[in-house]
Amino acid sequence: MDEYAIGVLTNIGLISFLGLSAYVVLICGELSFGQQAFFGVGAYAAGIATAMFAWPLPLAAVLAMAGGALAAALVAWPALRLRGLYFAMATLAAAEMFRIGFELLHWQVELAGEIVGPDGTQGFRGIRWIFERGVEPLGFLVLVWVMLAAAAASIAWMDRSRLGATLRAVGQDPELARSLGVDVERLKLAGVAASGALAALGGALFAHHNTYIEPRNFDLMLGVHSLAYPLIGGLGTVFGPLLGAALDIGVLEGSRFLQGYRMLVFGGLVAVLLIFRPRGLLDENLVHRLKGR
Amino acid sequence: MLEIRDLVTAYGTIEALKGVSLDIAPGSITCLLGPNGAGKTTLMMTIAGVLRPRRGTVKFQGEDIAGRAPDAIVSRGIALVPENRLVFPSMTVLENLHAGAYQRRDDLAPDIERLFGRFPRLKERSAQLAGTLSGGEQQMLAVARALMSRPRLLLMDEPSLGLAPLVVEEIFRTIAELHRDGTTIFLVEQNAHMALQVASHFFLMEQGRVTFSGNPGSLAEDEVIRRAYLGA
Amino acid sequence: MTDFLQNSVDGLAAGASYSLLALGFTLVFGVLRRANLSYGPAIMLGAYAATWASLHFHAGLFVLFPVMLAASVLAGAYVERLAFAPHRAGSAITAMVASFALWMQFEELATLVLPGHLYAFPPLHEGGPLAVGSLTIRVEALVMIGVAVAACGALWGLLYRTRFGAAVRAVIDNPVAAGLSGISVPAISIRIFALASAIGAVAGFLIVAAQEQVTPMLGMWSTLKGLLAMMLGGLGSLPGAVAGGLALGLLEAHSQWYLGPQLRDFLAYFLLFVLLAARAPWMNTRSAS
Repeated sequence: MDEYAIGVLTNIGLISFLGLSAYVVLICGELSFGQQAFFGVGAYAAGIATAMFAWPLPLAAVLAMAGGALAAALVAWPALRLRGLYFAMATLAAAEMFRIGFELLHWQVELAGEIVGPDGTQGFRGIRWIFERGVEPLGFLVLVWVMLAAAAASIAWMDRSRLGATLRAVGQDPELARSLGVDVERLKLAGVAASGALAALGGALFAHHNTYIEPRNFDLMLGVHSLAYPLIGGLGTVFGPLLGAALDIGVLEGSRFLQGYRMLVFGGLVAVLLIFRPRGLLDENLVHRLKGR
Repeated sequence: MLEIRDLVTAYGTIEALKGVSLDIAPGSITCLLGPNGAGKTTLMMTIAGVLRPRRGTVKFQGEDIAGRAPDAIVSRGIALVPENRLVFPSMTVLENLHAGAYQRRDDLAPDIERLFGRFPRLKERSAQLAGTLSGGEQQMLAVARALMSRPRLLLMDEPSLGLAPLVVEEIFRTIAELHRDGTTIFLVEQNAHMALQVASHFFLMEQGRVTFSGNPGSLAEDEVIRRAYLGA
Repeated sequence: MTDFLQNSVDGLAAGASYSLLALGFTLVFGVLRRANLSYGPAIMLGAYAATWASLHFHAGLFVLFPVMLAASVLAGAYVERLAFAPHRAGSAITAMVASFALWMQFEELATLVLPGHLYAFPPLHEGGPLAVGSLTIRVEALVMIGVAVAACGALWGLLYRTRFGAAVRAVIDNPVAAGLSGISVPAISIRIFALASAIGAVAGFLIVAAQEQVTPMLGMWSTLKGLLAMMLGGLGSLPGAVAGGLALGLLEAHSQWYLGPQLRDFLAYFLLFVLLAARAPWMNTRSAS
């Protein structure tokens, strides 16, 4: 497989974490403009751990996930009683606060004669843990997809369980769920926290793949993309966000001749697609039919 | 005047109207009775264009208007006084009346005078925000607003709901007057007793279908009332 | 004291354009119950069209404004037809995602037309600032405030003194009742979109002319400022949009003075978050979207 294809597939995998993370929040019935912040938290946390404190990547990834979950809980908890556009705006405000936080983060240490660490708007260079250990691009690709598969499998498993059904019920009709005794707020909080961990894991891997991250990576545009993936891929199944990510990066970035027009084509495709499939390609109805229910 | 055939309206997979057929004669007062949940409001909203039917026809003076937008329905001479009144709360009484006449370009003053004559309390409150009116006043306003478009067919969904008896009498007096002036009236009414006194014809709706059609007196009144409130 | 007054004037000037942006968002939200996330990008397209005209024809401001207006309104109509009209009876989230998709299109289109990071825009005012007592007042600030006041006045007149305005207020109040009164909600929606785009074009024009530059960040920036101002003043309220915009402008001017530009933005977002979380009374959070 050539390097370009490996690169494209890796990017699809990385961005899919964000798509999955937005998917989980959407299933809980809310719109979040903030997943990119948790992606960023994961990226910075893991980068700091490995580049500045020589932590092994697995441990750094766990730290990242914890950080992402905590950040998400911090955002969601005060906003729990908000719905719809209000909740979305709260997540947007919080995400921008995180991004500004990354801009203000100056923390550098000297290691082996070099200065390493986040330098505000100048970014954070030198996150080279995987390259220093001679991990090949193909190897990293496998790692990303294995982790993604694990994450997707957990979500799919949860979706099949009673927890998943309850979560979807909360998403569809929270008042009804509440009247049936479901603790809607706690469930939503758990859902958002889980989505934060997911995004952060993706961010950790992203940071190590790129070796350089800057606050601008984690802006609203990324958040908007992450929302688009489950909504076009479909909200019926965990494959929806993966499909959405694959469509964007795979088909459009992969076909080199569309390079300069990727967003024009993708944007147009999405808008038209949504007219015919408002709940995405793999929406709940289709998934039910495919499963023969 | 109004010919409905096999009308089906659904909310998602739930069919609220399962094939409704009925006729309204011009110049008549027709009453639609039935228990809660029978689909009476759904029928009114479908005729008025707020809901789109899945199947069926609604012919008004020969033209099929099923599925047309609400403003197109108004332009053909049908006006609905909805359940829950639905006044414009942040607009004044006078502005509400003007809204009802949105499609008219002629002078509205004589109509407004006449309506204020019929509903003097509205005249008193003409500069007040509709949201601050009492339930009865809002109902009068909703009726007056619908009348501003000079409809040939007036639909009314539970006009007496939650109103004091004196106000109810006023509403029914208005209905009788409109009838005298040539307006066809089709109303949903829980107060079966009052409704049967003014109506020339009535239908009974149960579970999304019309189950009885007749003149007042063709069924014993207490049987009508029993079926209207409780279902067969 | 002079600093305080100085900053307040600058804050009001910036706030004037934020108010207009917020008004545009609020008009669309009031009528359609949805937020149009392509609003800023449509304004940016207008600014780019005007910049292109400025580069190729060296046209003055009086020509550039109609160009910007036309381009923004056209972009707004495109968004309304493709992202909002098809989903009128459907889900609000679908419409918003569709409007993101168009945002992506507008951003790319802008960079294809003008690939650079920064373009000069003819200034609002060629001379220096005015000295009023101990204050130095930029003429741009006065122009921005003046134009914004005039625009608000015109909008008020439209909404409260015309038949169209009454119909718009009716749809905002209760779209079902408006339909029953014979008002065509789709027709009002299209016109409101055009109006909102026009107001946005005015705001955008003031901003790029006052700053004498156009950048690709204009789309995201105006969306964020407009949304912030709209939410601060209470979602769905037109007077709130004006108040929110002015408050945001003042807050930014003063916090920039004492805390610098990054904390200035941070503070604005923080304030919004706190107000939302606390469900401050004027924010109408109880009527969920």
